[in-house]
Amino acid sequence: MSDLQDEAPLVEKSEKREPMGVLFWVCVGWIVLNVFGAIFANVLPLQNPLYQNYALVNAGPSLHHLLGTDDLGRDIFTRIVYGSRVSISVGVGAMIIGFGIGAPLGMLAAYRRGRFDAILTTVMYVLLAFPAIIATIAVLSFWTPRSLYKIIVVIGIASIPLVYRVIRTATMAVATKDYVTAAKVQGATDRRILVKELLPNIAPIGISFLLIGVATVIILEGALAFLGLSVNPPTPSWGNMINESRTVLAQNPWLALFPSLAICLFLLGLNFMGDRLRSHYDVTEVKL
Amino acid sequence: MSTEPEKLLVVEDLTTTFATPGGPLPAVGGISFNINKNETLGIVGESGSGKTVLSRTIMGLQPRTNVTVTGSVLLNGHQIVGASENEKRKYWGIDVAMVFQDPMTSLNPVMRIGKQIDESLRVRLGMSREAAKARAIELLELVGIPSPERRYSAYPGQLSGGMRQRVVIAIALACSPKLLMADEPTTGLDVTIQAQILNLIDELKERLHMSVILVTHDLGVVATRTSRIIVMYAGRIVEIGDTREVFTNHRMPYTRALLESSPKVTNPSHTRLIAIPGRPPNLMKLSAGCSFAPRCAYATERCHQERPELQSSGAPGHFFACWNPLPASQGAPTS
Repeated sequence: MSDLQDEAPLVEKSEKREPMGVLFWVCVGWIVLNVFGAIFANVLPLQNPLYQNYALVNAGPSLHHLLGTDDLGRDIFTRIVYGSRVSISVGVGAMIIGFGIGAPLGMLAAYRRGRFDAILTTVMYVLLAFPAIIATIAVLSFWTPRSLYKIIVVIGIASIPLVYRVIRTATMAVATKDYVTAAKVQGATDRRILVKELLPNIAPIGISFLLIGVATVIILEGALAFLGLSVNPPTPSWGNMINESRTVLAQNPWLALFPSLAICLFLLGLNFMGDRLRSHYDVTEVKL
Repeated sequence: MSTEPEKLLVVEDLTTTFATPGGPLPAVGGISFNINKNETLGIVGESGSGKTVLSRTIMGLQPRTNVTVTGSVLLNGHQIVGASENEKRKYWGIDVAMVFQDPMTSLNPVMRIGKQIDESLRVRLGMSREAAKARAIELLELVGIPSPERRYSAYPGQLSGGMRQRVVIAIALACSPKLLMADEPTTGLDVTIQAQILNLIDELKERLHMSVILVTHDLGVVATRTSRIIVMYAGRIVEIGDTREVFTNHRMPYTRALLESSPKVTNPSHTRLIAIPGRPPNLMKLSAGCSFAPRCAYATERCHQERPELQSSGAPGHFFACWNPLPASQGAPTS
């Protein structure tokens, strides 16, 4: 073939991707460390998160209490590690529910369109119009006794319309592309098109939204905990630690600072990771 | 007519109407034609003449709502009008396959090109993974992609436009379709690549004994590569006939206007191109008469009142729809 025009652009070096960068790996390391701490909190050489040392209340950071103690003399570092259990499992659990239901519905609606899409989208928009935080507060106020799984379920359900909307929009942008029609006229079934053509193309958006969603849910759990609507004390969560610190803010600012910092750094890590992953796996940005 | 070759595609009185907020929009109206085996048919017309809607309707590709299709499309014995998605899936890829206009959007950007060819081989023909890969590499070679083994695992983003269009053709050919629908297959490509791709389609048609429908607005494209031409205007056929006949002995003023508006090498330099005055009509407000009448230099009162039906020019297979046809250039005018 004399396709001189065609010969040139196959670039071997595009096989090896550009490196992710140090920041990405720092973020991954931090997230992994947090998750590790949450899972193995009771195995790690930590103090008892509920042990109250009345001889040492509202102490600042020291060697024995790395991040100090709270108003009841409990070790803050230990409580932050144990608190990550609640925060992370609410974040991940709620997003599993949200994506498990919202994402398939969104993809299906965007692909099928028609009446199915119209009805579902209307329902979801009605749900969206109702502020999620008010709804979760209302439900959690009456659904007692509160437990971790109830919080996960309520926040998870509240997140379905948000996930639905993002995934539906992302899918719609892909579903009208010629390659979807091309797969169709080659005889691909709807299921194949959804799984093989649409899913890989919306995955980057889905994953970054998932990570940001986990972050958002952790903040929401914090807000609920601050209102006293999350897990019951004395079980620590990042949110209810900040809540408890409120009364002793003047005497012990560390108590508010460290859990806030924990939330902040964890979220920052998730967001950076999500953003970097999205741009890295976006092969649709043709670089010719 | 026993000497006639077997018809692969028979289209009869095909109408596609879109329901729009402003009322029904007849994008394709009352079209009948057929295609023989191993024949290339060209469909030409300006933008908005209904070429693409016609080709999609023949494929059975319509939006799920707001569209009404009447008439009949018999493809290799299958009725396509009114067929369910499941029925269509049986002939899609096997009886008919499609090459799209823009190779930049007709390949899945996150799937290796080999996989995209494999898909239909394995799903439709039930080939094993290894057999499908071998066949996919064969197909890549067939469409003229150098070092196909290496390209098999390339992503579409790593290929140029011309290469991508070759891959699109390879995908379409995977299940050896009997009819290849090429909807403006070269519009998205560089001029230098256009001829290569058209020659490739031509060559493959001969080798694989396919029929091809070549939809284009470029008369130069159809001139040498088709055996018959359909000229469309405002969703209707205004002239149909053997390519040679239509080029040399066209009777419909619109066909002449189209031909005159494309540049010729034999013209002296600085010759002005003749453009067709006016614009294609609004399909929602078609007059009762000939839809080309408002732009036609030969239009008479009758043209505005009554729609001309297709009539024979005398030459076999050559029909045109005009009340005041141009005189036949060879021999005496027929009417």
